[in-house]
Amino acid sequence: MIAIVRSEWLKLRTTAVPWVMAGIALLINGLLILVIYLNHDSNGGGFGGGGSGSSATISGVGYPHTTQQLRNLVGSGFEGYLLALLLGVLIVTTEFRHKTVTTTFLITPVRPIMVAGKLLMAAIAGAGMAIIMLVSSLIGGGLTLVGLGGSFSALLHQVPAVAPGMILVFILFAILGVGIGSLITNQVAAIVVTLGWFIILEGILVSLVHGAAKWVPTGAAEAAANLTRNRGDVSLFLFNWWQGTLLMLAYGLVFALVGSMILTRRDIT
Amino acid sequence: MPSAIEVHGLTKHFGSVHAVEDLSFEVDTGRVTGFLGPNGSGKTTTLRMLLGLVAVTSGTATFGGRTYEKLHKPTHHVGAVLEATSFHPSRRAEDHLKMVAIGAGIPLSRVAETLELVGLSDVARRRVGKFSLGMRQRLQLATALLGDPEILILDEPANGLDPQGIQWLRTFIRYQASIGRSILVSSHLLSEMEETVDDVVIVSEGRLVLQTTLADLAGRAGTSNGMRVRSPEIGRLIEILTATQVAYRPTAPDTIAIDGATPEWLGPVLAQNQIVVYELIHDRGSLEDVFLKLTQGFAATFPGATAGAGAGPGTPHAGPAPMSGGVS
Repeated sequence: MIAIVRSEWLKLRTTAVPWVMAGIALLINGLLILVIYLNHDSNGGGFGGGGSGSSATISGVGYPHTTQQLRNLVGSGFEGYLLALLLGVLIVTTEFRHKTVTTTFLITPVRPIMVAGKLLMAAIAGAGMAIIMLVSSLIGGGLTLVGLGGSFSALLHQVPAVAPGMILVFILFAILGVGIGSLITNQVAAIVVTLGWFIILEGILVSLVHGAAKWVPTGAAEAAANLTRNRGDVSLFLFNWWQGTLLMLAYGLVFALVGSMILTRRDIT
Repeated sequence: MPSAIEVHGLTKHFGSVHAVEDLSFEVDTGRVTGFLGPNGSGKTTTLRMLLGLVAVTSGTATFGGRTYEKLHKPTHHVGAVLEATSFHPSRRAEDHLKMVAIGAGIPLSRVAETLELVGLSDVARRRVGKFSLGMRQRLQLATALLGDPEILILDEPANGLDPQGIQWLRTFIRYQASIGRSILVSSHLLSEMEETVDDVVIVSEGRLVLQTTLADLAGRAGTSNGMRVRSPEIGRLIEILTATQVAYRPTAPDTIAIDGATPEWLGPVLAQNQIVVYELIHDRGSLEDVFLKLTQGFAATFPGATAGAGAGPGTPHAGPAPMSGGVS
C-alpha cells in the first residue's frame, strides 16, 4: 500500500493538476485576506489605530484583533475545501480521461486496492492543501496585520483553534472527492455533478427540507470543523464534530466502496 | 514444451455481441506466437481478458495456471503493450516509468535500463504529449519490460510505425524471444509478422480458426493456386482450353489465368501446341492469401456472413471469376 501511495504521489505531482489547484487556492486565499481587511476598513476605524494587540478593544481598530476576527484570518483559506474536493475527484477521473487506468490496473489488478490507495493519497493531499492555505494565511494575513500595527503572536495564538478543524475538513472533502470520482469516472460528468451539488443543489435542498442542513456534506463538514473551534452559534443546528466527521467519512467511503464494486465489474476497453 | 499462456473456452459477450466465443489456444514458452485475425475478430478483447482488464463471460485465461489477478507481482511476470494512448500527456517519459516502477515494487534502476533498451534515453525528460506514435510505442515496450517479465503480450505493436519502426520492432521481438521470453503478439496483418513469429493463432469472428506453426502455414501457402500465361498467341491457347473445357480468366489483353492449373499440366499443353510464351507465372498463394482465405472462409460458415464470401472483395483473385466455386 505504501508503494501504491508513493506511486500515486508521483502521478499527482507530475501533472499540472495539483499545482494549478494550489495556485488557484493561493489566489483565492489572497483575495479573501484582502476582503477581510477591506471589510474592516469600511466598518470604520482608520489605519494606524492604536492598540498593541489586545483583543479587548471592541471597535475602532483597523485590523482584525478580536478572537473571532483573528480566527477568521487564520482560517481565511477555509473555502478552499472545494478545491480539495475537486482534487479528490481529479485524482480518480484523470486516470480514465487519459486512459492511464489501464496501466494502473495492470500494476494493481485488484481494483479496490487502487481506490484505497487513491483515498489515502487524497487524504494526504487534502491535509497538504489545508496546510498550504494556513501557511499562506499566516504569511499574507500576518504580514498585513503586522504592517497595520497588529500583533503576529496574537494571530499565531489562534492557530491551534483553527488548524486542526480545517485540516480535518480538507481531508474529509478530498476523500469525498475520490468517492465521487470512483462512482462517476467520466471527468466532466464528475466535476459537473460535484459543483452542481455543492454550489446549487445542496443549498436548495437545505432551504426546502427542514433539518437537512446537518445531514448534507457541507453541514457535516461544518460540524467537523468545530473539532477545535467550538463555535456555539452554528453548533445548535449541526452535529457535534465527531458525528459530523463520521458522517462525512461515511459519504466518502460508501461512495468509494460502491464505486470500487462497480469498477471491479467494469470492462476496461 | 510447457505453456506460458493457456486459454480455455474463453468467451466474452458484450450484451448481444459475441466478441469472443469458446476460444482455446496455448502459447509455448520461449516462442513468439502471432495472434492473427481481421479487425474486430476479438483479439484485443482476448488480450484484455488475459490481463484481467475485461471480465470473462466464461472460460479461463491463465499464466502457468494462475489468472493475472492471482499472480504475485503481476508486472514481474507479464509485460503488456496495449493501445498507444494510455499516457498522461504532460508527464515526462521517465516519470511515467518511475510511477510504474514504484507502484509495482521494481528497482528504479530499471527505468534507465529500459529506456536505453528501447532507444529513448535521449528523450527521457521530454513530456509524452510531445512524443510521436513510434516513440509512444517504444515507451509502452519499455513499460512492459520494466519488471523483467518472462511473458510479453503485445497488442498491435506495429500500428502506426513506419517501415524502419516495424523493422526495429521485428528485431526487438526476435531478441526478446532469443533471451527466453514468451511473446504473444497480435496483428491484423500476417505479412507484418511473418518474419517474426514461430507459431500462429488465427481467429475470426471471435473463434479459433487455426493454431499451428508458421512453417505449417507456409506449407499450406505453397499449394498451387493456378497458372498465368502471357502470350502473343493467347487466342490459340483460349481455343484449346475451350475445346478441352478448362476454365480460364482473362487478366490482360494478352494474359489469362487458369485457376487450379499446375505447371506439370500446363507445360506439356503449351509445348504440344507450340505456343510462344512471354511469361509463365505459377501463382503460389502467399501467406497472406492463406490467412485471408482462412479467416474469410470461416466467416462464411456463420450466420450473417454472405454465402460465397470466398469470392468477395479482398480475396486474392478479386474481380470476375466465372468458374469460381465459392463457398456454398
